[in-house]
Amino acid sequence: MTPAVEIRNLRKVYSGGVEALKGIELTVPAGEFFGLLGPNGAGKTTTIGITTGLVRITEGSVKVMGHDVVRQYRQARRRIGLAAQELNFDWFFAIEDLMVLQAGYYGVGKTLARERAVRLLDEFGLTSKRRVKPRELSGGMKRRFQIARSLVHDPDILILDEPTAGVDVELRHMLWNYLTRLNKEGRTIVLTTHYIEEAEKLCERVAIIDQGRIVATGSPAELVAGMNREGMKLQLENWNEETARALDGYKYDYTDGYLRIHINQPELRLTEIINRIISTGALVQDVKICRSTLEDAFIALTGHGIDD
Amino acid sequence: MINTGFLTFVWRELKRFLSLYNQTLVPGLLTTVLYVVVFGKSLGGRIGEIKEVPYMSFIIPGLAMMNVITNAYSNSASSLFQAKIMKFMDDILITPLSGLEISVGYIIGGMARGVLNGILVLLLGMLLTGTTVAHPLLVLVFLLVVGWAFGAAGLLVGIYAKSFENIQVLVNFFFTPLVFLGGVFYSIDMLPPVWRDVSLFNPLYYMINGLRYAVLDVADSSPWWSLVVSIFAAVLFTSAGSILFARGYRIKE
Repeated sequence: MTPAVEIRNLRKVYSGGVEALKGIELTVPAGEFFGLLGPNGAGKTTTIGITTGLVRITEGSVKVMGHDVVRQYRQARRRIGLAAQELNFDWFFAIEDLMVLQAGYYGVGKTLARERAVRLLDEFGLTSKRRVKPRELSGGMKRRFQIARSLVHDPDILILDEPTAGVDVELRHMLWNYLTRLNKEGRTIVLTTHYIEEAEKLCERVAIIDQGRIVATGSPAELVAGMNREGMKLQLENWNEETARALDGYKYDYTDGYLRIHINQPELRLTEIINRIISTGALVQDVKICRSTLEDAFIALTGHGIDD
Repeated sequence: MINTGFLTFVWRELKRFLSLYNQTLVPGLLTTVLYVVVFGKSLGGRIGEIKEVPYMSFIIPGLAMMNVITNAYSNSASSLFQAKIMKFMDDILITPLSGLEISVGYIIGGMARGVLNGILVLLLGMLLTGTTVAHPLLVLVFLLVVGWAFGAAGLLVGIYAKSFENIQVLVNFFFTPLVFLGGVFYSIDMLPPVWRDVSLFNPLYYMINGLRYAVLDVADSSPWWSLVVSIFAAVLFTSAGSILFARGYRIKE
């Protein structure tokens, strides 16, 4: 099956000499909910800009549903809907007319475009504002309008660049539910975010991008599992040699009354391990399950936090 | 190139200036009335006729061409620049429209505003002075070609511009002086020979001269040469503007 997005050895050097992308390789299968996770300035928006035709390529290639974004830009761009990070709109027209115009640029006839505009404005709770110009909308409404507009030409792939940056919790959850529904209906979604929780909650797979390089790709669970930091921490009394023998086969360390066992999915082995320990005469005073998070993975892979 | 996307973009450009008619159509008519009243009435009586045409009628084609040039230029320059500076240009660049289609869309928008202004000024002038049109088809050709040329000039400047001042500077320091020195209010045959020869290097003179011939059937030099200069300007500005736009100069990063 043709991937939704295929990026090969993508480099971008801006005119000032800044190398924003240093040879990115990325494949997003069709129908996937994919996240591009990285701090500000990591190269997320540049990657999106090149994919959508806003930024020129220095080297490498990007294909959208098998179409090269430079040589076959018409076919490629027809398949993409973009909700950009910045909320800038044509200020001369009412929002319904803007949606009809946007659909028209993609070749959608006026009647169908109007039908879609009406439906999408309704889905995003903007029907009462249909004759209003974008500058009269609140920030949250602008964000809703922007996403609604990106869908008006019915794209196969929806690219959202930091869609929930600066929005309130209610709208964030509304957008998450809406995007999840779109994905279940078969649309590929590519989301850039620097909110780890967002990537963890929504994305089937995530690529961690840092300083213009993809440092890891995988499902959030795979990336977290790769950390080997999951396990359990027990506070013990009466630790003895027999206790140590009872834990043969487990990777652990014991210091000053605290036993740390390194194990994936620790909750599955919790009862067995406690039983082994108490059978040796040791007493378990406290138990904590330790989990790695995507944030741990991010820090381990990049050497810094996402907001650093 | 003639596809739904392109036609939608052209429609957007037309709708933009038509919805702003107080800024895009009315001022040209108002200044025409002022020119006809102030210049025509005050000077007309003293000058009488130029090339056997009443002075008030003589200035009408020049006034129309002045409106075509400034409106066509301003429309595409400001429309493109606004989209660039307000960053909603991205909404157009992400669509399947080619750079050439977008460029031509801006040019057509500029041309339409220029031509509409030119026609309205001519009609108003005819109403005020009783002038009749000698070669209607040629009038339309000159309005379209010059409107296109300066719509394309506006595209070029809109691409280069980093501020609204950049756009206005060209109007104030280039187009307006060249239009006034291009014989809007006089025949260059009335000038001393040296200044007449200098006027022949002013491309805007040819555009005014061409339209004057088409409207009044009088000209200072060949109207066909005027048409050649106008077409040359249209080709030059269109090529430069659309090539720069397609390359994304000051448009894409």
